[in-house]
Amino acid sequence: MENFQETAKRVFNVGWTNFKRNTYLSMGTTGVMILVLFLFSGLMSLNYLASQIVSGLEEKVDVSVYFKNDASEEEINKVKSDLELLGTVKKVEYVSKDQALNEFKERHAGDTLIQDSLAELDDNPLQASLNVKADDSSQYASIVTFLEGNKFRSLVDKINFYENEQVIKRVLAISGGLRNWGFLLTMVLALIAVLVTFNTVRLTIYSQKQEIEIMRLVGGSNWHIKAPYLVEGGMYGALAAGIVAVIFYPAIFFISPKVESLMPGVSLISYFVSNIFQFVPLIFFIGILLGVTSSFVAIRRFLKI
Amino acid sequence: MIEFKDVSTIYDNDESIEILNGVNLHIKDGEFVSIIGPAGAGKSTLLRLLTREISPHRGEVILDGVNLAEVPSKAIPLLRRKIGTVYQDFKLLSAKTAFENVAFAMEVCGADRGEIESDVPKILGIVGLGDKLKSFPHQLSGGEKQRLAIARALIHRPRIILADEPTGNLDLVNSYDVVKLLMKINELGTTVILATHNREVVNAIGKRVISIEKGKIVRDQVENGKYVI
Repeated sequence: MENFQETAKRVFNVGWTNFKRNTYLSMGTTGVMILVLFLFSGLMSLNYLASQIVSGLEEKVDVSVYFKNDASEEEINKVKSDLELLGTVKKVEYVSKDQALNEFKERHAGDTLIQDSLAELDDNPLQASLNVKADDSSQYASIVTFLEGNKFRSLVDKINFYENEQVIKRVLAISGGLRNWGFLLTMVLALIAVLVTFNTVRLTIYSQKQEIEIMRLVGGSNWHIKAPYLVEGGMYGALAAGIVAVIFYPAIFFISPKVESLMPGVSLISYFVSNIFQFVPLIFFIGILLGVTSSFVAIRRFLKI
Repeated sequence: MIEFKDVSTIYDNDESIEILNGVNLHIKDGEFVSIIGPAGAGKSTLLRLLTREISPHRGEVILDGVNLAEVPSKAIPLLRRKIGTVYQDFKLLSAKTAFENVAFAMEVCGADRGEIESDVPKILGIVGLGDKLKSFPHQLSGGEKQRLAIARALIHRPRIILADEPTGNLDLVNSYDVVKLLMKINELGTTVILATHNREVVNAIGKRVISIEKGKIVRDQVENGKYVI
């Protein structure tokens, strides 16, 4: 007598009817779900922006090794070769005293005071240097250690890489804090969404007390009696996810140029468009999971077969 | 075959309040048994034990050799499909037609549309509601409502019908109609257990009568019973 197709059809039909029957309650429940999913989407955007800022800053970090004036070009090149042999080093660039002076003059071409001061000097006051780029920002400390222990240590005047590192640490701390607080807020809202859905399903169960009683008496299986409520809960989540997906993309489309003007090269819209097949199913998964979980708890609590 | 072996039930886990107290009972397949007693005597509790809505605090309720307390919860729906139930308050869905009320009992057990379309009109015809398929419960008389409830109870072709005060809300004529219908069902081989406080109904049936008072069986008259104090 059992027919799976008929059963599935009935379960979905009843779930859908329950969903439609309590219009205002369904709207409220879906509204809270929408808030949760929006917050989650915002958190994802924030994550992306933070990672872009950090990787941008990491690109700018390098170690500059300044040599004393008595260091010869040959000796500096030996240090360069030693550095290039390190597996953690990506690139080493030699900047001679003259090159450094030229670059300095170019940089301050419009500043007559600096130009005049330089003209008054007999010698080139700038130092030859090596700019070292590492594969990963975490490896700079070991490169600095290597330089300090190198046989040419006496030629080195100073090693400088700490400025950007501080900035990265601050950005990481801020984005980490935002992520944690955002996550906490999302969890609180998710809990509220679960409670609201739980109550909605509970009211549906209560309003269908007689139907449930009859189903039990005529031998309706647990699946037949309980599944429509799971479907109902899932529908709140699915509808909320659908609405979030429809609103979120146009919103990102408008926000993205503004973000890009602040952070050139960072495009929110292209990130979310290129990840649309991961993002949208994820939102649906979270929404449906929240709804079904709430219904499941309500059924366990209020629907005894 | 139904057997109650020293069955006791308590109210709300309170051992001091016994609803049934050491009930021993044996009902053969195809029997028509009337259980009579005042309100609160334990008649409905006795029926609820058979559908596993409750379990005994002590003793065993055995159906076809199976101790119902040992039936796993997953199998309870299957047990209930073997037992049709009829109640005083009909338990019909007011927003559904007569056809839909009976079809509902089939739908929740996973029947397909074809089965529903063919079986429901037949069963409604058997109980005399063949012309009321599209009527809603509020358009039916008390007797018709109870016949509709009986049709729903019969839709799974149960081996047992439990009728808990089925005439409680009916006048004498309709009560007699319902009793006649239950007797007809019994003649076709279905075991019928009727719980009632109505002596006239029991006397009209003239079959086995079990009298229950304060949770105990006080009389079990097996043949042509007339309930006389």
